[in-house]
Amino acid sequence: MAVSRPFAASFAWQRTVPYLLAAPLLIFMLVFYALPVLSMLMRSFFNPGLTLSNYTSLPDDVVFIKVFWNTLYTSIIVTLGTLLLGYPVALALVRTRRLAPLILIVIMLPFWTSVLVRSYAWMVLMGRHGLINEAMMAAGFLDRPMRLLNTPLATQIAMVHILLPYMILPIANALRQIDPSLARAASGLGATPLGTFRQVILPLSMPGVAAGTLLVFVLALGFYITPAMVGGPREITLSMLIAQQVDQLNWSYAACLSAVLLATALVIIGAAQRLPGIGNAFKMSAR
Amino acid sequence: MRKQPTHLHLGRRTALGLVTAGLAAPFIRPSFAQAAWPEQTTIPDSLKGTGEVRIATFGGTMQDTQIKAYFEPFEKLSGIKVRAFPGSDPTKVKAMVETGNVEWDMAQLSRGSIMNLMKIGDYFEKIDYSLVDDGVGQEYRFEYGLEMLVWAQVLAYRTDAFKGAKPTGWADFWDTKKFPGERAMFGTNSGGWPEMEFALMAAGVPADKLYPLDVDKALASYEKIKKDVVKWWDTGAVPTQLLTDREVTMTTVWNGRMAALQAAGVPAAINWNQGLLKRDAWGIPKNAKNKVNAQKFVAYSTMAIPQARVALGIPYGSVNNKSNEFIPAARLEVLPSAPAIKSQLVNYNYDWWIANREVVIPKFNKWLLS
Repeated sequence: MAVSRPFAASFAWQRTVPYLLAAPLLIFMLVFYALPVLSMLMRSFFNPGLTLSNYTSLPDDVVFIKVFWNTLYTSIIVTLGTLLLGYPVALALVRTRRLAPLILIVIMLPFWTSVLVRSYAWMVLMGRHGLINEAMMAAGFLDRPMRLLNTPLATQIAMVHILLPYMILPIANALRQIDPSLARAASGLGATPLGTFRQVILPLSMPGVAAGTLLVFVLALGFYITPAMVGGPREITLSMLIAQQVDQLNWSYAACLSAVLLATALVIIGAAQRLPGIGNAFKMSAR
Repeated sequence: MRKQPTHLHLGRRTALGLVTAGLAAPFIRPSFAQAAWPEQTTIPDSLKGTGEVRIATFGGTMQDTQIKAYFEPFEKLSGIKVRAFPGSDPTKVKAMVETGNVEWDMAQLSRGSIMNLMKIGDYFEKIDYSLVDDGVGQEYRFEYGLEMLVWAQVLAYRTDAFKGAKPTGWADFWDTKKFPGERAMFGTNSGGWPEMEFALMAAGVPADKLYPLDVDKALASYEKIKKDVVKWWDTGAVPTQLLTDREVTMTTVWNGRMAALQAAGVPAAINWNQGLLKRDAWGIPKNAKNKVNAQKFVAYSTMAIPQARVALGIPYGSVNNKSNEFIPAARLEVLPSAPAIKSQLVNYNYDWWIANREVVIPKFNKWLLS
């Protein structure tokens, strides 16, 4: 079929439009994100002359190893916590029609609250003379207040709270994509409700689980304010160490630590992309 | 590093600072106008000029006091307009000078942070001491800055925690049997330098034999209190919040924070004995556009009356020997520069820290995480 000239022109135009639409953002990201990140990375190789010493000394750097491990460990615990708490909520969100708006509001509320207000709320709740301790003592479970605030547990609880929406929403999205007739077919073929869940729903929701896990884990790696405010005295995360080193004027070392944090996140995202279904999950959540 | 007594952190730690400041906000209103403030009516012609001077401060109630104490009077007397920028920070000065985009003509910092930067490059102008008042003590003068505010890092405790017993020094702070309860101490998170002096005094080192600090001995002493320290704080509002919420019974604090806490009725007190006498300093970033005006303001703000006015607004002391005649006796009792208090304090040795921080801080971090 012959294509008329005006049509061809408009076809070419249509192919250009997406690029034009994206151009302002791309330029913005290049100038205000990519270039600063690059210059930061460059800094990590100069101290003050060109050197790899920042990187080569890392494996023997006890402080770095401990901080890095603490950051990974906290992220793993928080990811597991959000997964265990988040999956049932996502399921409830998809299954109940009437309660769904309420559940959604409860999930999104911490999302809309500033991190400062949330951290303060945790202080009021978990303090030595906070709500939890006072209630437990009034009920006779405790003789003297226990230490909740300023512990790793406090960080983990607060981070799970903050990151839950990032787990729930992708899983709910994946669950919503599952054709209801599949579950009906399974039970029609004699599967128990548990069997249906285990053999049909759970496997089909895995892309959502993977997407949520990835999001939560990568976000958790960079946490700074929450561990600093409610965390334990020895709990230093990689972001806290970076900030500390900037303030101590060791910018080259700080840049090196930032590069490590960035590389860790990229490696995890890269590895996750190879898992089946992840790309799919992002496509679905973009819908 | 940051050594500021009362301010909101801006920048990376805005968040932290704002929360903690929010917690303490009800308690830190500046106590203006209790007594009439002394007025200065004339200044030497050498301090007059035109244009403006852009001053970076630590913000908060400190800046409120500074505006009233010497920004506004300076504008009137000198003809130079003052613009205040909260959020002074040595790392910002470093970035400004390196990029040639110097947005501040002078900044409130500490001798430590100024000399720290001078160690790695040329970031500050020399102070023009021909303009500076004779009353400013020699110990406050250095080549690239002039100290302009005297404060103290001291022991504070809840008076309702020990059945009337009063801690009198760091040995008591370390003694959790006699003075039960948890502790908080200053850490390294905001680029600060740990309170090794306190650890050494707790181990029996006399105040006049502290420097050069025996770092290993300090860490061994810290080891004894480590499990009782629930927070290594990094902004000034944290220790007062911990005291208010009864998270700790004893902590180290910046003295200015405590007056506000006590005014709010929290049963807490300062033990001045064996505290550290610290100072804030003006620094003029290299090639600042209005550096001439900045020199004039540095000189004016350290004169006797402007210094006295600050001490009346916020409980920090003066660097000018002649200020005390303008300060009522009752007020002098709470100022770290008052003779009776100053004699109990240890002069903080910024020079030792500048020379040794690169070795000491990693050592402390390593110890903390072990």
